[in-house]
Amino acid sequence: MIPRKTIGIVDYGVGNHASVWRALHGLGYRCRVSAEPAVLDDTDLLVLPGVGAFGAAMEALHRHDLVEYLRGQSSSGKPFIGLCLGMQLLADVSLEHGLTAGLGLIPGQVVPFDQARWHIGWNSIEVVGNDPIFRPSDGKSMYFNHSYVFQAAPEYQACLARLDSAFPVGVRRGNLVGLQFHPEKSQGAGHMMLKNVVEGLCA
Amino acid sequence: MIQKRLIGVVTVRDGWAVQSFGYGRYLPLGRPEILVENLDRWGADEILLQVIDATRQGRGPDMALLEQIGKRGLSTPLIYAGGVRSAADAVAIVAAAADRVVVDALIRDNASEVIKAGEQLGNQAMIGSLPLSIEHGAVRWFDYRTRTSEPMSEELLELLEAGVLSEALVIDWKHEGQPGGFDHALLDALPKGVPVIAFGGLSSAPQLVQALKMPHVVAVAVGNFLSYREHAIQAFKAELLGVPLRPAAYQQTLHA
Repeated sequence: MIPRKTIGIVDYGVGNHASVWRALHGLGYRCRVSAEPAVLDDTDLLVLPGVGAFGAAMEALHRHDLVEYLRGQSSSGKPFIGLCLGMQLLADVSLEHGLTAGLGLIPGQVVPFDQARWHIGWNSIEVVGNDPIFRPSDGKSMYFNHSYVFQAAPEYQACLARLDSAFPVGVRRGNLVGLQFHPEKSQGAGHMMLKNVVEGLCA
Repeated sequence: MIQKRLIGVVTVRDGWAVQSFGYGRYLPLGRPEILVENLDRWGADEILLQVIDATRQGRGPDMALLEQIGKRGLSTPLIYAGGVRSAADAVAIVAAAADRVVVDALIRDNASEVIKAGEQLGNQAMIGSLPLSIEHGAVRWFDYRTRTSEPMSEELLELLEAGVLSEALVIDWKHEGQPGGFDHALLDALPKGVPVIAFGGLSSAPQLVQALKMPHVVAVAVGNFLSYREHAIQAFKAELLGVPLRPAAYQQTLHA
């Protein structure tokens, strides 16, 4: 029997972990929600969720002594997914409410969305290239709720969305993936994408 | 392209989901978490859970209900309304289960807490509830605690124009629950550029289409009229032709 994969959901007090836990559990994964490195170490993949302001989230990661831990895990090649604000935290820096340094795991900065005040609701994504973990989700509608955008260096952009023009909503650097939308709240299309990303990163 | 939304509404009073008629007469429907689960299964674009007696009874947000819903794990974005007294309440609501928070009385009582909530959660999470009516040609803003109406305040308009509130939930409270009752003139009551969710007496596809075709109307919310048939969300979506709406979604099992 193939053992179930275990996913570590990083709990740093920001946002709602229950829906992420439920989505992953519903897909058949065992989940551990924790801020303890010893617990997170004993997992196959890390998920960094998050909602709210960038600065407050980075402060919370520092307060929980998770910044260096997450950098170490990423550089060791451990599969790692950032969701929504959790994707933005992968950046070098954010301009939200002043300048705040991020985890610096994927080159680029988080800037105000310049095509509208917000990007709220369901929008279809365009997959860049032929990455098999994203390709089946090309054209699928996902749920967005944000006002800042992670302008990652082009070589790391994996998915785009579009209002007047295209902007990045998915990034990948090796075993590190960031998704600006909420796959856990994007019904069947989002759950299918989560499964493909988890399976692809853990393969 | 961003799509417009069909929001399913569950109204809660005394702990029970109810059909509401003008926020004055109610019929029980059942347990709110079951109705929320139905909307999740039927593929609503968002679900609005509104607890309409929380502020009046001074209870604050219904955290027990939110936690119950959180444990069930929705795959649809959840908006919560009712009893929000502070930024801390709004943060707790999001931590429990919701993606976005509706404020009403807090706009009148303490606008600085609305601003603070937006700073902590991002303004995209904040929605203003505006029960409106038109009387003698003038727009009136209803206060359900005192059952009186007044013109919209400068402070409210500033919150909308500054983008502290990302969207305005415009409620035709007088016609809420009445088939075909929604007064589309209310949708022009706000400053230009404020994104609007229309709610209250929207019962038929032509009515919904008329609202959704207005450029600043980003969503329509339907409550009672989803209770009369199974899979009402998909049925409505199939009838809403000519508007940029996400096609009807159907739940599927992803793992054997």
